Amino acid sequence: MLAVCMRYAKDRMEAEDVLQMGYIKIFQKIKEYRGDGSFEGWIRRVMVNTAIESYRKNLRSLNVVEIDEAYEQPSTGFDFGTLGMQDLMKVIQKLADGYRMVFNMYVIEGYSHKEIGETLGISEGASKSQLSRARAILKEEITKMEGFGYATYTG
Amino acid sequence: MQPIQDKDFDQLFKDRFEDAEITPSRDLWSSIESEIEPKKKRIIPIYWLSAAAILIIATVGIMIYQQQDVVPKQYANNVATNMNPVIVEPQVKDSSVSNTDLTKDVAKALPAHVKPSTTLVQTAVKENAKPIEKQKVISEPDIQKQETMIAKVEEPKKDIKTKIEEAVFKTKEETVLAANLNEVIADEVIDSSYPAERKGIRNVGDVVNLIVNTMDKRKDKVIQFRTDDDDSSISVVNIGPFRIGKKSRK
Repeated sequence: MLAVCMRYAKDRMEAEDVLQMGYIKIFQKIKEYRGDGSFEGWIRRVMVNTAIESYRKNLRSLNVVEIDEAYEQPSTGFDFGTLGMQDLMKVIQKLADGYRMVFNMYVIEGYSHKEIGETLGISEGASKSQLSRARAILKEEITKMEGFGYATYTG
Repeated sequence: MQPIQDKDFDQLFKDRFEDAEITPSRDLWSSIESEIEPKKKRIIPIYWLSAAAILIIATVGIMIYQQQDVVPKQYANNVATNMNPVIVEPQVKDSSVSNTDLTKDVAKALPAHVKPSTTLVQTAVKENAKPIEKQKVISEPDIQKQETMIAKVEEPKKDIKTKIEEAVFKTKEETVLAANLNEVIADEVIDSSYPAERKGIRNVGDVVNLIVNTMDKRKDKVIQFRTDDDDSSISVVNIGPFRIGKKSRK
């Protein structure tokens, strides 16, 4: 579950905070678990909701630093084989909060843009554009990480 | 290499993270535990509280039940007469006066007759400071005495018999009243010596005191309101071993 929280959080500390809150919530609301669907799935949903909640709380106190618009990557592929989950996690955590939220919710949790918009309080279009930007940034970061992509781009 | 499609790109992330697990740091569980545990501790006192509440209710109920068993007739009398003490109170004065007036003529012939009214007043005054249980014990025999005395007196002079009967009936009724009024204010009334000075039921406190007095004949009531001033306030709460407020005077 920490992995789930890590995706939504900026760093491990924040992730563990969210994990703790999530587990406390789970213990408090264990009666509300109706037994349909896997228990793990239910816990995961609670975690994701907790993470989103914490993000929305932080939204007011933290200034979201917009990352400069990402450049469209030229035709470079990725060798995901060499990238471990930890690496991807690092990349995701580097994303601006808003991008990270949308990317996680859409790509991994499978929310629709409409749901994301409602949950985060943004428009459907904003959700879509943030997702594509997030993708672009991620691609760039991964390419940098791999080394050769960055070389081809600058060269 | 072909530029990767968004869908594939997403899928790659999803695959990586779907079953990803990271072991949280060791301290995390203890902090979670510490946040969960207080909830458990809170549950236990609720059981204790409810148990205590049931106990209190049960004891109070039993107390009331037992007292009702002991003197059920008195309660009926008291409740009936207590319903409008405001109207009756002035009568206490008047009747005591009229009583003596009526009996003036016969005073010499029947020295015993004047006695009841005076003794009544005396007992009423005394009882201000006396415990209620004693009041009853004292006042009832007194009434009986009066009756017997009057019964003796009645034989020689039959023309005053009716008068005396009336007077006795009145005084009898009023002793009960006077005793009750004293009960209501038993806690406070040391200064105001005559019950006639009281104004009767003025506020909720008086009503509660009245009800409690009829139900609870102990010296220390379950609850007592102070009704000296216009707004009543609780002066004594006495539930079993727990007692709040000043102790009743002797």
